[in-house]
Amino acid sequence: MKYQDNIEQVAALQPDYLGFIFYKKTPRHFDTKIPELSEDIKKVGVFVNEEVSTVIEKINEFKLDAVQLHGEEAPYYCSILRSTQLLSRPVEIIKVFSIKDNFNFNVLEAYENVCDYYLFDTKGKLPGGNGYRFDWSLLNNYPSQKPFFLSGGIGLDEAEAIKTFKNSEVSKYCYAIDVNSKFEKEPGLKNVSILREFINKLNDKKTMNYNVDEKGYYGEFGGAFIPEMLYPNVEELRQNYLKVMAEPDFQKEFNQLLKDYVGRPSPLYFAKRLSEKYNTKIYLKREDLNHTGAHKINNTIGQILMAKRLGKTRIIAETGAGQHGVATATVCALMGLECIVYMGEIDIARQAPNVARMKMLGATVIPALSGSRTLKDATNEAIRDWINNPVNTHYIIGSAIGPHPYPDMVTRFQSVVSEEIKWQLKEQEGRENPDYVVACIGGGSNAAGTYYHYLHEPDVGIIAVEAAGLGIDSGESAATSVLGKEGIIHGCKTLLMQTSDGQITEPYSISAGLDYPGVGPMHAHLCKTGRAEFISITDDQAMKAGLELCELEGIIPAIETSHALAIFKQRPFKPDDVVVMSLSGRGDKDLQNYIDYFKI
Amino acid sequence: MNRIQNKLQQDKKLLSIYFTAGYPNLNDTVSIIQDLEKNGVDMIEIGLPFSDPLADGPTIQDSSTAALKNGMTTEVLFNQLKDIRKTVNIPLIIMGYFNPMFQYGVEAFCAKCQELGIDGLIIPDLPVDVYHEQYQAIFKKYGLINVFLITPQTSDERIRYIDSVSNGFIYMVSSASVTGSQSGFGNVQTQYFERISNMNLKNPQIVGFGISDKTTFQSATTYTKGAIIGSAFIKHITNSGVKTIDTFVKRILK
Repeated sequence: MKYQDNIEQVAALQPDYLGFIFYKKTPRHFDTKIPELSEDIKKVGVFVNEEVSTVIEKINEFKLDAVQLHGEEAPYYCSILRSTQLLSRPVEIIKVFSIKDNFNFNVLEAYENVCDYYLFDTKGKLPGGNGYRFDWSLLNNYPSQKPFFLSGGIGLDEAEAIKTFKNSEVSKYCYAIDVNSKFEKEPGLKNVSILREFINKLNDKKTMNYNVDEKGYYGEFGGAFIPEMLYPNVEELRQNYLKVMAEPDFQKEFNQLLKDYVGRPSPLYFAKRLSEKYNTKIYLKREDLNHTGAHKINNTIGQILMAKRLGKTRIIAETGAGQHGVATATVCALMGLECIVYMGEIDIARQAPNVARMKMLGATVIPALSGSRTLKDATNEAIRDWINNPVNTHYIIGSAIGPHPYPDMVTRFQSVVSEEIKWQLKEQEGRENPDYVVACIGGGSNAAGTYYHYLHEPDVGIIAVEAAGLGIDSGESAATSVLGKEGIIHGCKTLLMQTSDGQITEPYSISAGLDYPGVGPMHAHLCKTGRAEFISITDDQAMKAGLELCELEGIIPAIETSHALAIFKQRPFKPDDVVVMSLSGRGDKDLQNYIDYFKI
Repeated sequence: MNRIQNKLQQDKKLLSIYFTAGYPNLNDTVSIIQDLEKNGVDMIEIGLPFSDPLADGPTIQDSSTAALKNGMTTEVLFNQLKDIRKTVNIPLIIMGYFNPMFQYGVEAFCAKCQELGIDGLIIPDLPVDVYHEQYQAIFKKYGLINVFLITPQTSDERIRYIDSVSNGFIYMVSSASVTGSQSGFGNVQTQYFERISNMNLKNPQIVGFGISDKTTFQSATTYTKGAIIGSAFIKHITNSGVKTIDTFVKRILK
């Protein structure tokens, strides 16, 4: 490595080691400062037949964790470095051996006790960086048990060969893969995206896990903070959800319903005029074209099938905008199950058409009269109902929130969205991965589904759009990533808007679906780790973006979705960026709000 | 020995009363505690109000909302209780949801409780396994007893686990419900009380949810060490004010 910002970009890929060449005869020679790096990344100084005193000086000056010796350094040279009192810190010693057509492994013996690792490189005219690989099968004669680095001309095309090599007996001593020239744009300057692709190809083991762990946590977020009264219900679900979802019968019925009843796959539509206006390539994933008009039905279909398999006869749900309530009422009608939907009194007033829909579908809509009388309070009421009816009732949570396993279960049911985006984008753009996936976030179910298959693809940027309401500092907002801190709501630990005393604050957004004081724990983790970029959009920005989509593309979006659409005015994209946005819902339910807002 | 453990050794059925701190008026807390003790109540649960009390029915919800409006906070409650041990001897338990304690800092919260002479905590949404793994050591350090709930749906295996983690009493929720939502006990409850009684648990049990008068108090304590009254007491002070606490308690105990 040579250049500051390039070093930082590569460090962001979380390698185990980063190398700096202290050999003046190469253009890769390092002569600047090393930026602040994570303690998990070891800094390696690469030297060629350097004076020991200079090596010691550099180790101390640059706080190196390891040295890679690329010349003819003798065993005693290594042993001096090992034992000297002049070092401010102990270093790992990596001794390099270059292999051409064959190699006499006997030379290793003298180094066995004086260095920590060997590195096998390709022998060429220059020390290192010759750009082609040696015959790895020679390593089958490796006599030592010391872990080694495999190096020499390794590029993206070698990823497959490395995987094959990993099956060999000797590979158990292969401790690290060392790459350099094949990933350079010019000597000393790494091509970050190809390097990222290589790391992805090689193993996903080291990339951070953005999925739930076996205890129900996403990093520090998640878990099941529930009163004992709910334990049997939640535990029954936890023990069964993955098993049930994996059953072929379940899969078949789920997929069949998604296809024939919901109308999937939903189109991935290239929004030509919108793209022209913002000078980038915008694709809209048309969840608004699903039966019932939003992504919510993907999850309710899954959960009603789950409930039936668990022998439940009564379904409860909470709803904000009414989309999830309608989607739940719909599947209950489909399956002939009793349905009770809790909805904040304020939301009932601002989403009248959806209330009527639920009633037509046979559901009972019960107003939540406590607190801010919106989504949070509807969720409280639904949980109380579940406490009172622990045996026959399944609670269909509509967002990627709640106690484990709900966030994961909802995410899995919604993951069909990104599953489809992958092959649809491949058809249209020739690649599965866009540069960005974008979705609006309240609790975050549509976002979770849109991101799911891209979480561990570091070349795909993730953008989450929150509701800023009247403005982040206005006191009337739902921008959790900015205003929230760690806390417990509705059974999980997540980012939460609250007072310093730990009372949950009442959020505000013009959009009932984003009007929630927390985010799902997966999103809290994406936010905290920096995996996702969070953007806050005000009521006004959203409403204007919604109207713009009507005018440019002939699509009336839900106000929730309009928040996502508003980012194009806030954040530039490059002309050849491919941006896939979840068009999570249609705007029919919001007509009155649009009419009132724009005096149409 | 902790005051709770002492009290549990007394040869009598215990009456514990829950009230929401800061309700009906912000500064009623101390006088309510003193009146309850004076009238023969054995133990008191001081409710730290929360904005989103999931396990509570409308009565306690409304009292919590009112208390928060009155200005109750964790800090205010701690200030009100600063001299409580100069006048009150019976066990005092703080009952509240986890988030306010989490924001205060669990260790700081426990340290403060010890300093004030609080004997135990009931935190309905802090599951026993999370407590066991992360917080038990802190509670022990500050001599606090943590009380867990069981319900008619709790499995025997889990009850044994809760019993093993507990060191005071077990809070037996009488039926599957939120607080204040039922009246009277039927056969189902009696069977449940008998089942738990036959398990010979290490910790005595105190019944809560659904106790509102002398009859329910007596039937609940036939099989258990005591009973907790919450919603019925809140209703009483809502309707009759805090000056008539004596008549409420007498009706239960006489």
